[in-house]
Amino acid sequence: MEALFYKKTEDTPSIILDPERNTFEISHRSLPEDANGFYEPILKWLGEYYENPLPKINFVFFFEYFNTSSAKQIAKILLFLEKLSQTSEVTILWKYAKNDADMLSTGVRYSKSLSLNFQFMPV
Amino acid sequence: MQEDNLSYIYRGLFTQTITDSIISLAENNLESTGETSKVKKRVFSIMVECLQNITRHQTVEGEEYNDSSMPGIFMIQRKDDGYFITSGNVVPNLATPKLRSQLEKINSLKQDELKEYYKQILEDGSISDRGGAGLGLIEMARKSGNKLTFDFAKVNDDISYFYLHTAISKEIENATAVPVNLDNIKSLHRLANEEEIVLVFNGVLNQDTLINLLSIIEGQMRGRVDIKKKVYNIMVEMLQNIVKHAAKGDDETILGNPGIFFISSKNNSYNLCTGNYISNRNVAELKTKLEHVNTLKGEEIELFYSMRLLNFEIDNSKEAGLGVIDLRMKSGNKLDYSFSKVNDSVSFFTLQVSLK
Repeated sequence: MEALFYKKTEDTPSIILDPERNTFEISHRSLPEDANGFYEPILKWLGEYYENPLPKINFVFFFEYFNTSSAKQIAKILLFLEKLSQTSEVTILWKYAKNDADMLSTGVRYSKSLSLNFQFMPV
Repeated sequence: MQEDNLSYIYRGLFTQTITDSIISLAENNLESTGETSKVKKRVFSIMVECLQNITRHQTVEGEEYNDSSMPGIFMIQRKDDGYFITSGNVVPNLATPKLRSQLEKINSLKQDELKEYYKQILEDGSISDRGGAGLGLIEMARKSGNKLTFDFAKVNDDISYFYLHTAISKEIENATAVPVNLDNIKSLHRLANEEEIVLVFNGVLNQDTLINLLSIIEGQMRGRVDIKKKVYNIMVEMLQNIVKHAAKGDDETILGNPGIFFISSKNNSYNLCTGNYISNRNVAELKTKLEHVNTLKGEEIELFYSMRLLNFEIDNSKEAGLGVIDLRMKSGNKLDYSFSKVNDSVSFFTLQVSLK
């Protein structure tokens, strides 16, 4: 399956979804005007990936900031990964800057609401 | 707000990043309101000269005057007959006589004489190491079509505030702006210093303006990282609310929504305030959301947020949206708001969030 790459901008994250290298990472910041529109192709890509997934993946989230409408879209991605974890072994690597207590608690909040294997990593 | 559809005041440090953002902010607003490119260019170049003037005088003989205890001020306003750019910044007292004589000389010259004078200085090669010799000031006088208004206010034995006001008439040929008294600017600066106002913005809000405002505030804030992040968070949610949900008011042609944004940082507590038009149809619903979120306490807010985060069915309910809950959660205080009806179609909505 073709990889999906987005370069980071002032208001959108860097995205790497590359099954060939087994690298899945969303990082930087996310505050687009239209979060729905921005994340739509990413969710679509994940939907197709679901047809033929790798047996084991680490999915990295490493945000310095995201707004509430992105929070909703990230929740969608995590819900998808929860579904995927029924057939593949999925680990969520929730990275955060070590002085960023808010980003840690944001990750903890997601982990409490989902049955997914979260690992928290201060960087 | 309608008469002055662009004005903003920035008070604080002037670093390269901040001045760049101030310029982009104005550029974006001139674009969004459809100003003619001729006027745009003149406003733009006067602004650049003015800001360079501020940063140039910040360092004198190796000493940095970019001190947060003596912040400078920069203002741009639009009125019917043109644009007005005003700056106030610290200069060493040693530099004031030269500055005064340069400005007096410039103001004594007519447009064609200014051009000659400019050439003469260039050919002289008498440009100071700070790029000075008043070339920037000559440019400001030439491009504005008006005399420059200036004043000094002594701070102490070493430094003074230097105030410079440029009126940019839309038609350079019949520029008629009269010199103004700068006492108003001085008292405004004093007031802004007392209230520790960082930024007042009144203009068109769109995603680009938001990014510029964020970058100005990010560059300006000192102190604790967690507070900085919270202010950043709150700003995004408040301003995106305007970008996405505000009503346009009278002018349907602008690219974005008109809004007012204000931030002050008195006694280490930040106060953020927005004002914007909202369609009367949406008032009742927004009011219910705000009332509801204000009734929540401590843990309840966190719970309510988590519940909303993963529920995609209730996006259109009358309960608060994530943004509003987030504001309540991040500030730790109740949200302060008001609605006042403007006419049959829109109301004016203000929202104030404080962070201690």
